[in-house]
Amino acid sequence: MSPENKIKKKIINWLINHPWLKLISFALAVLVWFYVAGELKK
Amino acid sequence: MLKPILEITILWFVIYHIMLFFAGTRAFHVLRGIIIILLVFFLIQRLGLERLDWLFTKLLGISIIALLIIFQPEIRQGLAHLGQRYLFLRMVLPQKEIEEILNEIVKAVENLSLKKVGALIAIEREATLKPYIETGVILDAVVSNELIETIFTPFSPLHDGGLIIQQARIAACGCIFPVAEETDLNRIYGLRHRAGLALSRETDAIIIIVSEERGEISLAYKGQLYEGLKKEELLMKTKEILIER
Repeated sequence: MSPENKIKKKIINWLINHPWLKLISFALAVLVWFYVAGELKK
Repeated sequence: MLKPILEITILWFVIYHIMLFFAGTRAFHVLRGIIIILLVFFLIQRLGLERLDWLFTKLLGISIIALLIIFQPEIRQGLAHLGQRYLFLRMVLPQKEIEEILNEIVKAVENLSLKKVGALIAIEREATLKPYIETGVILDAVVSNELIETIFTPFSPLHDGGLIIQQARIAACGCIFPVAEETDLNRIYGLRHRAGLALSRETDAIIIIVSEERGEISLAYKGQLYEGLKKEELLMKTKEILIER
């Protein structure tokens, strides 16, 4: 397997595994960031 | 603009890995509960409900201690994970040698499955299995299908417990693995499956399980259980994990 294919496969594997967990954690990360940003502005 | 993206990405990475670490365990339900409470807290603050906000702030402060107690086993496990020694099996061994070892293991597993003899084999990858090797009988032997079959022969003194393969050698057998405790796991799974699953959550090892009742071959990897595998599927899956990834 060529190095490009390996990287492609790794990316696909990463995307396929636990998509919901990734989505929820991303939403949480955005929420936490905005919350902290809001608190720091006060 | 770049800073917020970087900060959110780092936050995402940390939150995702915390959730991934807890996924499939009993603690995940607790984590889900905490996330819901945090969302409610966030909502209360946005709505400007001052008295509820005061109450929640006080409660959350106290709950840090409660969390430390509730998640004590997971925190210990997580810290151990961080401090694990890495060996890089795939970097040390050439592909041909890995294939030879896998062929021997799969041959033994197939024979054990046909005879309906239970077996539990862990192949070390990057995270060390040394703590588990220490619980068993040290062998340090060349991997051969005959030896693996002999070890798991019922009534032999070493057949109980798991066999560990480390750096192309059978490092130890009769090893004690942790056991998955969740109650929602299918009843047909015995202790071997539970042990395999638990070890696959704690380390990145590949665990092969042969069921004693059904002779079924399963593979546990990173907290996932792949059941009812045929010889070819097992070989393909293990190769994929050890060589191609």
